[in-house]
Amino acid sequence: MSSTFHASRRGLIGGAAAMAGLGLLDHLPGSGARAQGARSGTVKVAVLGLDTADPHRHTGSIAVQQVYVETLTSIADDGTVKPFLATSWEVSPDGRRYVFTIREGVRFHNGRVMTAEDVRANAVRVRDQVRGGWLSAPMKLVEKLEAPDARTFVMTMQEPYGPLLNLLSELWIVAPESEGWAQTIRTPIGTGPFRFGRWTPNVSFHAPAFEQYWQSGLPRAEAVEFSLRDDSDLSLPLRAGDLHIARIGYDQLAAVKADPNLEVQFMKDTTWWFWSFNNRAPRKPFDDLRVRRAVALMLDKTAFMRFVAGDAGVVTNQMAAPGQFFWDKAMHDAYAHARPNEARARALLAEAGVDPARTPCRIVSWQSTYPEIAVQAMRQLGFQVEHLALDDIGAQRRLGQYDWDLAPFASGPRADIFLRFIRLMSDGPNVGLWGGTRDAEFDALVKQAVAAVDLGERRRFYLAAWQRAIDNYYTVVIGHAPEPIANRRAVTGYSPGFTWGQHRVDGGLAHASLGVRS
Amino acid sequence: MSASVAGRLGAAPGSAGFRVGIVILAVAVLVAVLGPSLVPHDPLAQALAARNAPPDAVHWLGRDHLGRDIAARLAAGTRISLLVALGATLLSVVLGAGLGLVAEATGRWASFAVFGAFDMVRALPSILLALTLMVALGVGTAPLVLALGIAFAPHMAMVARAAWRRETASGYVAAARVMGAAKLATLGRHILPNIAGALVTQAAIVVPRAITTESVLSFFGLGLAPETPSWGRMISGAARFAESAPHAVLAPVAALCVVTLGFALVGDRLRLALDPLRERGR
Amino acid sequence: MADAGLALARQLLLLAAITVAVFALMRVVPGDVVDAMAMEGSLDEEAVAALRADLGLDAGVVTQLRIWVVRAVGGDLGLSLRFDRPVAELILAALPTTLALGAMALAVGLALGIALPTAAALWPRSPFPALVEGVNLWSIALPTFCVGLAGILVFSVWLGWLPVIGQMLLPVLILGIDNAGQIAKPLHEDLKEAATAAHIRTARAKGLSPARIVLRHLLPNAMTTVVALGGMMLAGLVGGALTMEVLFGLPGLGTLAYQAVSGRDYPVIQAVVMVFATGVVAVNLLADQVQRLLDPRLRR
Repeated sequence: MSSTFHASRRGLIGGAAAMAGLGLLDHLPGSGARAQGARSGTVKVAVLGLDTADPHRHTGSIAVQQVYVETLTSIADDGTVKPFLATSWEVSPDGRRYVFTIREGVRFHNGRVMTAEDVRANAVRVRDQVRGGWLSAPMKLVEKLEAPDARTFVMTMQEPYGPLLNLLSELWIVAPESEGWAQTIRTPIGTGPFRFGRWTPNVSFHAPAFEQYWQSGLPRAEAVEFSLRDDSDLSLPLRAGDLHIARIGYDQLAAVKADPNLEVQFMKDTTWWFWSFNNRAPRKPFDDLRVRRAVALMLDKTAFMRFVAGDAGVVTNQMAAPGQFFWDKAMHDAYAHARPNEARARALLAEAGVDPARTPCRIVSWQSTYPEIAVQAMRQLGFQVEHLALDDIGAQRRLGQYDWDLAPFASGPRADIFLRFIRLMSDGPNVGLWGGTRDAEFDALVKQAVAAVDLGERRRFYLAAWQRAIDNYYTVVIGHAPEPIANRRAVTGYSPGFTWGQHRVDGGLAHASLGVRS
Repeated sequence: MSASVAGRLGAAPGSAGFRVGIVILAVAVLVAVLGPSLVPHDPLAQALAARNAPPDAVHWLGRDHLGRDIAARLAAGTRISLLVALGATLLSVVLGAGLGLVAEATGRWASFAVFGAFDMVRALPSILLALTLMVALGVGTAPLVLALGIAFAPHMAMVARAAWRRETASGYVAAARVMGAAKLATLGRHILPNIAGALVTQAAIVVPRAITTESVLSFFGLGLAPETPSWGRMISGAARFAESAPHAVLAPVAALCVVTLGFALVGDRLRLALDPLRERGR
Repeated sequence: MADAGLALARQLLLLAAITVAVFALMRVVPGDVVDAMAMEGSLDEEAVAALRADLGLDAGVVTQLRIWVVRAVGGDLGLSLRFDRPVAELILAALPTTLALGAMALAVGLALGIALPTAAALWPRSPFPALVEGVNLWSIALPTFCVGLAGILVFSVWLGWLPVIGQMLLPVLILGIDNAGQIAKPLHEDLKEAATAAHIRTARAKGLSPARIVLRHLLPNAMTTVVALGGMMLAGLVGGALTMEVLFGLPGLGTLAYQAVSGRDYPVIQAVVMVFATGVVAVNLLADQVQRLLDPRLRR
């Protein structure tokens, strides 16, 4: 969207009529066609927001910034880690020393060629200046950061750290000459297929193509424009042609599928739904495992997953989705409450000496629809339900007060399974959604998994940790489903990836263009 | 007083509209009292597989996005919505007119302070105010009534003050004062009964507006707990499915329209009958 | 003149009180911007505490207020906590949208809200009186977001005439009708009432045409009502604009305020509310003066 176009949108009523004309132009066949090989069109996208121009200080979503800054590694569609700005790496047998070979001929948006020293400077900046962030844990374990020559970057850890390569897919490489490097970067100079253009917080972000991008032929579009508005239902602008690519809710899936101009794809990693108990300061009688089992038995997981995700949903009892490496079939099959059993639930309550009619049950949730299912289930069991449906921050605060009993929530795709496990660790970040679990043995198992060099061994530790979570009913997993992303058929070459990031080694917005207009 | 009001109402010409209004409100109150017992379904019971099912013989108005019976929710919601709206209106009268009049009668400085506070509330966009209040107070009936009551109070205060000023300027109040009656006593004995008409008229406007505002707050995720069957929650919840399941949003919207019409019709006649200023004007 | 000075002083006092009230209100709201930042799970408790200290959120409310006031008086509205950008910049970027939306909606509202009751008074047996009732009912009973969603569905998705994001035609019309509904009915009542007044009866007896009577004699008198209501309308308009902006994705002050409330971005909320309040206060002052000019009875 050009600035004049933007201005006319803010115009008077007459301008609005002109807009209708512009909208119609979008539908004319061939209006965007160009000679092959040339970039074509501005792809308009709405996925998640952009919180800061400083890639190292991002606190929210990574979806947008990924188009202008890149990383040494990239999470491929199958969830494995692939070379990106690094062409290869070697890990020492003790799992502590990582030697990366930096890709040649990668240019920053200011035309300068990226070197290993730039990579090192970014790692140093994140280690020394950035508080928090997914990288804070591994950065505390860094012993040495070196760039012995222009093409080699060496990272030495105090102890083996299994998730490192995956997490480095979120260590964005920015040119140190970027404005604000010493404090907060305001105009990041990256290496991505699109440059950091015009950003209006909460409104839009415009990123024009980078002509000297290192992957020849990319990007295919002239620019991408992200809508950063907090729209509840993106299917409407998508159907009207205002957007080309957007995340949509499952409840709008039918309407989107019915539109011949639209195509639905799914993200490669899943979102998972769960009911957490208050583990840090459990209130009676929800500290009793029998009561927790009763609650779990009230949950019709199949109906729940069908409701939230239709055919895309699967029921399981783990943080990893069925089919993924860290998912275990035996554990899945041994699951005790795959099916609801109200009679058994009532019997368990009676056995625990609980009269639900005299027992308050405080449920904290976001303002989504699915928590209402939990509320109704608890009400049906007879509890005096108090439901606090709060906005994001309100819920965050309230969860941290640990004066509640049940928390039905969902959590999205992550670059590494560790980022899910860390949320049940005693000193993990933002653990409220999982009830603030404090279990030294669980912590120890996860730490062993992280330190395990052998993948099979790491999996065993993770599964042992998760078995503890199941046995103690820290959280009851309902199931998984991938988020649907819809695009207009006019868009060619686009596919969603494993995480929300919109640019990656094997796909994303760099490959998208407005080929044939619908 | 009441006898004369009834007399005036009965004698008022064109009272067909008034009768329709009374019937509408009577039905609404009846539904509010009988509530859930009118419909043989639990307004909270979900049927996840039957989301947005269209009306049929069993579920007369169909089901909503969680498969809940819309007729049952509408009936249960009548009580909740009317209670919230009446509560908020009452609060706004007490807060607005009550505080406003006492301040006005007490003296210049009290009036300055109290109406300053009302001006403050008035200068804040009511939605923004209610939004902030609700975020601060949390969801639930009491915070909702409080937020709406505060938002509407300044309006009531203005109406009351305007009526008060006209009344105090009139002959009989001056006469009462000459006879040595205290200000507050004058307020209670002579002015309140006459201002009541103006306030009741305003209340007839504010009640339906409160129901609508509740739905706007629900649209922003605030107001009552989401599963509560209030009309506002029903509207905001079903609005997302206006295309695939129009029945789910039309039912509460229609109910809201009809009740608003009822209040408007009754309010019209009440104004003519109760507002002494209007009457003197004719 | 002294009256006007007093009124001005009073309104300034009002603004000061609003500053304090909003400041207090925002601190009652649970959660702050650091919670927002921590939400995606990337901050541990140590980092959270450090960030709060960085942003000055660990100081007492009174200290925070004092710092804000001192800066604001000097013309510095501070930085957005969430976006690390000057608040003034965010507000200036959003202001034109809201002004345009508000002005156009007000124009539509006034035009419709005056024309309909005038026509209804001129032709009492036409459908116009029913239209006045209808528009009144519409504005009370139909939530604007509901009408807006229906409008988007019909005109953008089904007919494809208007874009969903960023167009102003629908919000202006919806807000305009909403406002018209608020003034049409009282104005109609006023016109009907005034029509029974003595001098109008005389005029009618003299054989003046109804149109002449309404336009020359009734409407000018009824304008007092319009001005009084117009001032009152503004605060409602701002609130309505908020809903419309959020729904239609317009980057105005309403959207900014809404997002600032949900993101607990204190400096932005504070500034936006001050802008709103200043606008309302200014219009109130103006309406007050205009009303005095129009209605000699109010000149004390």
